[in-house]
Amino acid sequence: MNISNIFKKALGSRKDVDTFSKKLPENLSLWYYVLHDVQALTGLIIIALFIIWSIVEGSLQIVGDYLRNPALGWMLLPHNPLAPPNYALSLKPPSMAFIFGTNLEGEDIFSRILYAAPKDAMAAFVVVGIAILVGGLLGTVAGYFGGWLDEALMRITDAFLAIPGLILAIALSILIGPGFYSVLVALTIVWWPIYARLFRGQTLTLKYRGFVEVSKLFGANHLKIIFKHVFPNAIDPIVAYAALDFGTVILTYSTLAFLGIGIQPPYPEWGSMASNGLSFFPGVWWYTLFPSVTILLIVISFILLGDKLQDIISGRLTY
Amino acid sequence: MIFIVFSLIHIILPSPQAMAKVYIGGSHFTQAEVSAIIVKYGLSKPIYVQFFSYLINILHGNFGIDSLYKVPEMYLLDKFIPITLEFVIIAIIIQVLLGLLTGSVAASWRNRVPDWVIKVLYLIAWAMPVFLLATLLQFVFAYYTKVLPPFNIANPLLVPPKTITGFPLLDAAIEGDWTYFDSVLDHIVLPVLAIAFAGFGITTRIMRASTIDVLDKDYVKLSYMKGLSRWKVFRGTVFRNSMIPIITLTALQFGFAIAGAVVIEEIFIYKGMGFFLYQSTVSLDYIAILSTTLIIGISVIIANFIADILYAVVDPRVRLD
Repeated sequence: MNISNIFKKALGSRKDVDTFSKKLPENLSLWYYVLHDVQALTGLIIIALFIIWSIVEGSLQIVGDYLRNPALGWMLLPHNPLAPPNYALSLKPPSMAFIFGTNLEGEDIFSRILYAAPKDAMAAFVVVGIAILVGGLLGTVAGYFGGWLDEALMRITDAFLAIPGLILAIALSILIGPGFYSVLVALTIVWWPIYARLFRGQTLTLKYRGFVEVSKLFGANHLKIIFKHVFPNAIDPIVAYAALDFGTVILTYSTLAFLGIGIQPPYPEWGSMASNGLSFFPGVWWYTLFPSVTILLIVISFILLGDKLQDIISGRLTY
Repeated sequence: MIFIVFSLIHIILPSPQAMAKVYIGGSHFTQAEVSAIIVKYGLSKPIYVQFFSYLINILHGNFGIDSLYKVPEMYLLDKFIPITLEFVIIAIIIQVLLGLLTGSVAASWRNRVPDWVIKVLYLIAWAMPVFLLATLLQFVFAYYTKVLPPFNIANPLLVPPKTITGFPLLDAAIEGDWTYFDSVLDHIVLPVLAIAFAGFGITTRIMRASTIDVLDKDYVKLSYMKGLSRWKVFRGTVFRNSMIPIITLTALQFGFAIAGAVVIEEIFIYKGMGFFLYQSTVSLDYIAILSTTLIIGISVIIANFIADILYAVVDPRVRLD
């Protein structure tokens, strides 16, 4: 083997990274494993439906807002989710016309669940996405350079991680003020430290690997090494973790909504729908049960998929 | 951590006027009140002066005056913390025991029926929103079968015993007030079950993974080769070694449990710190929210510290000389 081959190999592809305990055989892709596993496939199908629906419904809502024609937002839904109160239809049990029954104001619960979906999807993807970017940048830099920078950043993340996420999110969103976006901001502030930790752990294992040393020998600057070698190699196991995390964000988000923080009525939200239904619970079971079961289903799908991804991509994550 | 909370507040509320609104709480105030507050609390002073006075006050246990009850915050927290702590600690003990059991059962019957049953159970437990879980428990045990009371800490008709430690169960036991003790015990079951069930999924999952790891180790094979029975190997070697990650996890879970307590206390009207926090969010009582957050953060740090000590007790390899 000549020397340029060694360099190519060391500098080159991500397949060199053997920190992962279960290595994929070269010829099989990740998709092969996901598609041949019943649990992961179920999770994937539900998540795919959820995301496609959220994109369609979400863009309809945005276009509807833009054209000042909110009716466009419920074009595809069987009933108007924001209809003015109609107490003649109040608290009707599930039937052919109202698949999941109606709430106190006589609105169709099924339509409201579907109408709220884009906001949940957006919360999950925005929060985890920004957390990965911010946490990834800070964590990689901290792990790569070490020294006082590492110390300072890690003490900050320690402080954040000490306060339970839900409680810090409550405090922050109350301080910022009510509304959907304040919850997003609060959740993002709460969420990035864990990713900073994960990325730092990954960076520490990658820092002394051959391909990083070699590109240092070649005279690459720190920025290039971080973005070309460390970050792309660190991200795989973290994506698997993130798949699990989407579910957690949705869970936290709906718990906040349950406590009355977040989207304000009349706009529907799964958590607040469940919370409103509680006072009627044993008799009017469909009011609380259907929104809660929706949350349960989505979160389980994310866990099933994330579990499998984590099995495939990484053995275990280190903090 | 105090620094973080302080800076976050100042980033979110940059102007003294915005800060003053925090001190008033609620949403009804006049401009004159705002200026009076600014002068009274020195909100227009430089930030570092404010930071040190905040720090010194907190170290003295002075979290400010509650804007709803008009008494010092510490007085309220003193009353509410033990109540929450009591049932969270009981719940965590139950959850860890349950998780250790199910985790090792799942691992030793890997990919067979018990493993599948446990996997379904823990997935549901993990993904279920806490409020749904609590409501279902409340419905089944309190309204449907009527074996347990639906809410409150104890029967409101009974006279509570004098406060000694603040923990309702402990107080009742110390003073020998067994009817009250019984009543508290009845009321604590449902919240404890809710928190324990919500948290046991992750414990089970980690325990299963770590047991599977340990089962592959050479020292386990050695124990089998020595001719020990399956049960002896499991109890003596596998169980002790696979328990190690659970300790760190439990310290982390303590935070989740307290967060879950906010929702659970609201549903069971269990008047502890979580219920207090919920009330404060409804009445926009910022000082109460901030001080509760700080206190919870401090208690999680203490839990982590205890976990570090336990680590050394269980695993002699990490003991310091």
